[in-house]
Amino acid sequence: MSTGQITAPGAPSPSGEAAARPGPRTGAHSARRRRSLSSRRALSFYVFAGPWVLGFLALTAFPLGYALWLSLTNADGLSNNSRFVGLDNYREVFTDPETMSSLARTGIFTAITVPLTLAAGLLLAILVNQPIRARGVFRTLLYLPAVVPPVGAALTFKLIFDRDSGAANGALDALNLDGISWLMDPYARWVLVTLTLWGAGNAMIVSLAGLQDVPKELYEAARIDGANTWQSFSRITLPLLSPVLFFQVITGIIAAVQSFLPLLISLDPTPRGVTAVPEGNYLFMIHVFAQYFANGRYGYASAMLWVLFLIIVAITFLVFKLSKGAVFYAVDPEPDKQSRPRTLGGK
Amino acid sequence: MPTSKTASLDRRRFLAVSAGAALGASALSACAGSVGNTANGSGSGKTTLTVMTVQNEWDKNALKAAEEALGMNINVIIWDPTKLNAMLAAKNPPDVVRGFGATETPYFAARGLMTDLDPYFAKSSALKVSDLDPVNDVWRYDGKKQGAGPRYGMAKDYSQDSMFWYRTDLFEAAKLDVPSATEPISYDEWLDLGKKLVKRRLGKVKVYGLNATGMGVFPQLMGMTASAGGSLFAEDLATVDFSSPEALKALQWYLDYAKADIGPSVTNPNPDGWDGPTYQANRMAMSCNGYWFGGLIGGDPKLAAASRFAPAPQLGGNRVSSCFGATGFWIPRDAKNKDASWKFFEWYFGGKPAQDRAASGWGIPSLTSLRSRMPQTNAFQKQAFQVQEQELPHFSVLSFTPYAQQAALEGVLTKVLPGAVKSGTPAGKVADTLNSRMNEQLAQGKELVG
Repeated sequence: MSTGQITAPGAPSPSGEAAARPGPRTGAHSARRRRSLSSRRALSFYVFAGPWVLGFLALTAFPLGYALWLSLTNADGLSNNSRFVGLDNYREVFTDPETMSSLARTGIFTAITVPLTLAAGLLLAILVNQPIRARGVFRTLLYLPAVVPPVGAALTFKLIFDRDSGAANGALDALNLDGISWLMDPYARWVLVTLTLWGAGNAMIVSLAGLQDVPKELYEAARIDGANTWQSFSRITLPLLSPVLFFQVITGIIAAVQSFLPLLISLDPTPRGVTAVPEGNYLFMIHVFAQYFANGRYGYASAMLWVLFLIIVAITFLVFKLSKGAVFYAVDPEPDKQSRPRTLGGK
Repeated sequence: MPTSKTASLDRRRFLAVSAGAALGASALSACAGSVGNTANGSGSGKTTLTVMTVQNEWDKNALKAAEEALGMNINVIIWDPTKLNAMLAAKNPPDVVRGFGATETPYFAARGLMTDLDPYFAKSSALKVSDLDPVNDVWRYDGKKQGAGPRYGMAKDYSQDSMFWYRTDLFEAAKLDVPSATEPISYDEWLDLGKKLVKRRLGKVKVYGLNATGMGVFPQLMGMTASAGGSLFAEDLATVDFSSPEALKALQWYLDYAKADIGPSVTNPNPDGWDGPTYQANRMAMSCNGYWFGGLIGGDPKLAAASRFAPAPQLGGNRVSSCFGATGFWIPRDAKNKDASWKFFEWYFGGKPAQDRAASGWGIPSLTSLRSRMPQTNAFQKQAFQVQEQELPHFSVLSFTPYAQQAALEGVLTKVLPGAVKSGTPAGKVADTLNSRMNEQLAQGKELVG
């Protein structure tokens, strides 16, 4: 078995095993040995990569392919008479006002929650990065909501904001104020935003890790040069933190666009079910869910998901393009060929 | 890592083998799923019956009693329409499924997903067709209409869901005469009572005057249209017509009700999802729920003393009082343990559970032989029983469409009506929108059913 060291193609084995073997070596023998070694290496690669490849094929490639096929049919999952409809479902996605409005609502939700979560996470990270007493306790407490499973968090919020027995209306009642139907329009969307912000501990922990990577010497040098707090933040902290913030923007957008939690905090347990989600919380994924399971339109809902996938790819691409010049990497991610480190062996 | 082109397992072959293995693994897992459903789950040699039902009726004691009575293990899956659809689509359904016969039978039966129970009824000594209450006809579908053809399920109990309960204390406080126990009031009178009973504070409703829909808006509109002498669905059940004079009258009434803001509606849904907590908390004067709701009321002596039952209101001269639920069980066509499922049927619908349910007041028993067990001890129970007895002759089966699920049609109402109420859109225009959107859905469903 290989030692695992990096070896240039054709280079002698660094372990020196060939050199240590006595006796003359013919070219054919050497070639056979090389092939045998290569085969063993290939086999070990396949053995280690195999489980992932199997998982990918069974759990990702097959469902994706099946969903793509479904998106080209009018299948409802239960009937035997479904047929190929070409791109009709895709055309409908872009002409259905309800789909478009749910998409627009999702865009607004994303535009509100991503910057807010990012800002809240950064602010909390800066606060818990200060040399204060019981800093670890604060960090733990602030991170705790991010550890709560999303379903648990949503159900907790549902209980807190329940119209009749929720703590929120209990507090209003104690102040002799009228209760509010928090989980209905127009308040439902703000409960949802609050729920999203409640999990800002995740952003905090990522930003905190980034903050702790900023060299202290830079702040000291800036202070000696007369920089104030804001200047240190804007000229040192933000630029050096920009890759971390950029990562959070990308992952935040992807998570927000796919947001499905409102279903849990607004679901009406009657036959109306998912279709009765308040309009303010009727996001794209909920519309997808309604199309799948209330309307039985597996084909159309699959097309909606593929469109969403393309939208996410497009947004990610756009954000990458727009971020050029705003994100500062400590190491250039695209070094030119001249400065690329040489492989072992100098090839 | 460099690899030889002559390696014994090249990438192409590896991927081919992997794909084969993945498919094999999928097939194996599918087999494992089916084995898990059919074989004994505990290793005791007993059949394991998978029952999809609601949680609150199946606590540990109930489950243990069921397993002992049936001599089989029962695996309870919590009822969830989404999960059910997914399981049916995967052809791996539960053995027994809870459902709403009135609105679900045509949909599932038309797709060939239900087991015809007629042969089982024919052989059974515990469940005789002659003993079945007419409500069980909602579980029949002959391919064209509901109420005829094979039996695909059975109701555990039922109600005539447009009948309503009212609180005499709130009527007294408002100095209003209570509704007749024998003669149905009109929908307009009902709405008027609701307006008089509502209590507001700073413009917000503190006590609802009325909840006009207990089982969903669509079935209620179906019932209202029928009582006006019309039908919401066309004869072939493939289209709706909200523009007919009878349906338009029903729609106009609902728009007026929602605009009056005197009770839960599509514009202001009840977050509890049902009337129980609100009615019990003295915050609802009239609740449109059938006899079953008396089970809740009967469990609270103060509430029982203040509550009375009334016949279903009528929109026209055609006295119709339908059931929109007829909750019960059915056996999917692809169920693995059909004989065991039927054994469950005989025990659950004809055995001790059925007798206990009949005496509980939570609905009318679905076997006529059990009707005498309905509670009639105190004044509240006697009044409810008498009103219910007088209403029974007016029961009829209203055919639901096989081309869409109720949730889909409710979804259209939920999307269209709030805007219409807020903007004051004329009922005729709302009817056109509903026709267009629902008929589009129904057409898609019809194409699939064939």
